Amino acid sequence: MPAVIFFFFLVGAVLLSMIGQHFIPPFPAPWFTGARVLLMPVFLFYGALAMPFSGMLGLAFIAGFFWDALTLPVVPSLLPGGEPLFEIPLGWSIILYAVLGSIMNGMRPWFRRGRWEIHCLLSGVFTALIVVAEYLMIALKRIEESGFLFPGIVWQRALGSGLAAMLLAPLVFFLLNTVGRLIGFEPHPERETLRR
Amino acid sequence: MSRTHIISIIAFIGLVAALFALNPRNSQKVQAGVLNVLTPFFKAGSSVTTFRDGLKTLEQLEKQNTELLTQNKELKAISQTLRDLEAENQKLRAALEYRQRAAFKLVPARIVTRDSATWWNTVTIDKGTADGVDIDMPAMTDEGLVGKVTTVGEHIAVVVLIADENCKVAANVVGTREQGIVKGDRITSNTMPQLGMGFLSRDAKLTRGQQVVTSGVGGVYPAGIPIGVVDRFEARPLEGFAVVLPAVNLSELQDVFVVVGRK
Repeated sequence: MPAVIFFFFLVGAVLLSMIGQHFIPPFPAPWFTGARVLLMPVFLFYGALAMPFSGMLGLAFIAGFFWDALTLPVVPSLLPGGEPLFEIPLGWSIILYAVLGSIMNGMRPWFRRGRWEIHCLLSGVFTALIVVAEYLMIALKRIEESGFLFPGIVWQRALGSGLAAMLLAPLVFFLLNTVGRLIGFEPHPERETLRR
Repeated sequence: MSRTHIISIIAFIGLVAALFALNPRNSQKVQAGVLNVLTPFFKAGSSVTTFRDGLKTLEQLEKQNTELLTQNKELKAISQTLRDLEAENQKLRAALEYRQRAAFKLVPARIVTRDSATWWNTVTIDKGTADGVDIDMPAMTDEGLVGKVTTVGEHIAVVVLIADENCKVAANVVGTREQGIVKGDRITSNTMPQLGMGFLSRDAKLTRGQQVVTSGVGGVYPAGIPIGVVDRFEARPLEGFAVVLPAVNLSELQDVFVVVGRK
């Protein structure tokens, strides 16, 4: 039961962090040239570590669905009243988050033993991967129009977002651990095993 | 693999497949629905940031008040002159049997949030269908064109900015016969966006500072709205291309007007 309550708490945290990151401005120039602070993936990846596989899938679905619904732009039609066009289909982020979440979930044994470094490091790496993956999707979709462009700014923004996620991860880890224990959910039940 | 895992994988795949099967119109409705559900949270967040940005000392407020009063008087005087000119223009147009030009009907809106996605340039405004805003309506400020509404909820809407590569605007260069398409540049910084105007003629004689405005072709954007100014021109193998600096400072946008029709 505490695990179920914690799951719903994580769903709320993921959604609130997604809304909250809309209000965080991009990095000012020249620091990482306009990279965004992506808070939501940090919460999602904690959930991927703390929850069993089915819980991780649920979180990935909710996070991916709301992320696409809020951010995927509609390509405006050239004529008034024309058919809208989605460059990238609604739901692709669900697959991306599920894949990354599954890899994270594979690290769960270490997390259960209290290893916080896994969440910290991989949140940064995977957040950077999300930024690169999004760009690749756009670049491949627009390849006919403008050729395949992959400028250095992509790496700068990915690095900026990844570093921000890595810096925020310990804070999120501590916060969610504390809330988990208050609810009665022990995120690191095998911590004593590590100490022995 | 346990039964729970198998069931969750099947359910997951089924839901994702259902989402992929949605046609664009239904996907847009899903987006509008999500926006409607999250509107209170966005507006609450926006109130907090507006309150924080609005914190000023009494001295600052007094100074701002004086400046605004002076500006108001100047604008009233200009407005009266413009009204007289408009009346004269309409009389002359009628005399020449031109179609009467109606002023835009505008709905003011505040920017609630900027999209937190890295590769798309959109903003969310606090007006929606309940306020007369609909999909494909242009958004502008007193300085020029801002973008176009792409998704709309009941009290909230998403505007794609002209700095986005997907936002294409038919435009012409004032003082010339040159017409082209203006769109955003994918790889410039969000803080200093540049626009590109393509499909110009290779021997177009464009100089720095020439104004670019909407041409009205296609009926999406009304004609004559400033887009920006030419920064430089390049003759490419198949076309002429101009780099255009936007008229509106898109990184500091706080309020816009949505063109909902004509008066």
